[in-house]
Amino acid sequence: MTNVLRRTRPLGGASSEPPRLPAEIDLAKLSERKVLPLRHPAQWVLTIVVLVLVVNFGQTLFTNSEWGWSKLGTWLFNPAILTGIRLTLLATVISAVVSFVAGILVALARLSRNPVLSTLSWLYVWVFRSLPLILVLIFLYNLGNLYPSIGIGIPFGPQFQVRTVSVLTDLTLGVVGLSLSEVAFSSEIVRAGLLAVDQGQHEAAKALGIPRRRQFTRIVLPQALRSIVPAYVNQIVGLLKGSSLLFYVSLLDLFGVVQSLGSTYPTDIIQLLVVASIWYLVFTSVISIIQFYVERYYARGAFRVLPPTPMQRVRRALGRSVAPFSPAAPASTTSLREDAR
Amino acid sequence: MSLAVEIHHATKSYGERNVLDGIDLTVEQGSVTVILGPSGSGKSTLLRAINHLEKLDEGYVRVDGELIGVSVHGERFRELSERAILKQRARIGFVFQAFNLFPHLTILENVVEAPLSQGLPSSEAKARARTLLTRVGLADKEDAYPRQLSGGQQQRVAIARALALEPSVILFDEPTSALDPELVGEVLAVIRGLAGSGTTLIVVTHELGFAREVGDHLVFIDAGRIVEQGPPSELLDNPRHQRTRDFLSSVL
Repeated sequence: MTNVLRRTRPLGGASSEPPRLPAEIDLAKLSERKVLPLRHPAQWVLTIVVLVLVVNFGQTLFTNSEWGWSKLGTWLFNPAILTGIRLTLLATVISAVVSFVAGILVALARLSRNPVLSTLSWLYVWVFRSLPLILVLIFLYNLGNLYPSIGIGIPFGPQFQVRTVSVLTDLTLGVVGLSLSEVAFSSEIVRAGLLAVDQGQHEAAKALGIPRRRQFTRIVLPQALRSIVPAYVNQIVGLLKGSSLLFYVSLLDLFGVVQSLGSTYPTDIIQLLVVASIWYLVFTSVISIIQFYVERYYARGAFRVLPPTPMQRVRRALGRSVAPFSPAAPASTTSLREDAR
Repeated sequence: MSLAVEIHHATKSYGERNVLDGIDLTVEQGSVTVILGPSGSGKSTLLRAINHLEKLDEGYVRVDGELIGVSVHGERFRELSERAILKQRARIGFVFQAFNLFPHLTILENVVEAPLSQGLPSSEAKARARTLLTRVGLADKEDAYPRQLSGGQQQRVAIARALALEPSVILFDEPTSALDPELVGEVLAVIRGLAGSGTTLIVVTHELGFAREVGDHLVFIDAGRIVEQGPPSELLDNPRHQRTRDFLSSVL
């Protein structure tokens, strides 16, 4: 029997014959039974190893008193920490909005038929994508030495001028620095999104005589945003963390406050770092939740049926235990309609 | 009968290749003109030149007497501004082979989009769109998204969308070529319903049966030139040129 079932490797492609089953096996009888799933023993071993490591680490969280969990609560909402959070959030949010809008403009300039605009846009991206953020920040910090006053005006004509130091205050310096570098990346994300929109969409919009601005805002951009949003949110998370570099130009953001408190209270440095970690985790989580719903909004029409939200999944799981045979499709069709409104 | 479309000396080349080689064609108001020809013959380019999606190197197109995409500037034609061209296009409907519905908008939003952008009040645009959707048999689909519809349904929405601006001419660029065979009929039925409604139709297609039944005037194009043209009975049953005969026998 084993002899018959043994897989024989064909010598040539043409002479290969399918393996034959022994005659005594009753296929008709087997076909009435459920097919057994494939077993994965290696996966089980690996899972156990990983679990052991995780439990080991988890244990140290309780047994190692250096973590000092009791002190955590006092630092978490410390007023100094909260002012740091304020700067971090303000700098991140303002820079994120500025870079998004400016990113669209730089991307449009790059895609425009005007060679001056497109070259300038390319140059900008080239420069600011190349420079490390910290270098840009320190450069701005010292800008007062290079240009004691900055202004705008007609070349060699009348000028409007202000003192550099008075303009580049804490938050402004942070926002300008972060945005300068962020725009270089966001514009590339926007450009990629715009290029991903099917040429037929542009043609249809043109053929319908839709005015140019409306073609962009109503037809092209919403479709581009579908691919822009995930990449741009990633960029915002980078921005949030990048804002910790503001510490190096003497700005007290969340990380900066933690660093300076750490030198005042050197015994609490671990707790302070944990507090900062918790806050960064919280912000990133909030961003991720917002991202989920924004992505979902721009995915409307992209699928025949939208995948359910986590809440809908929970509700459906609960509903299933009550009515096990309720079909899933109608519920998700309704959710699609809800999203459209 | 007055002329809806007049094409004179339409010429266009991509590098060395002459896509359109001096085409002259007139289309009567309210008639159905069917353009036939092998792939690469220039028939789609000709159609796209009518609403200026393709610019001509030489020659002109007039729709209802108005020059499309250009104005007379001394001794020559000069390209119009994009804004002016967009305005002209509102009077010329276009139906694409690949439908090109806006996938992020519902069916109703697709149909009202162009009228809204022309400043039609929302309630009026919606009422008009609903009438058109009923006309193409899709009144119950207005809240669906294009990808939830079959190809035939999508193309019928695309026709409703083109009709929403009440154009005097509608151009169809191989409207059934991207469809499964069993869906072709429903789209042709909608186009057939438009014939004789006063709207001028120009259709590029490979459906000879449709051309014979609905077409008033057939045009056979090859290598950027009109080989012959005439009523369906003449062109399909008694083609005068060998080129036409070869094409017809290859399509059948």
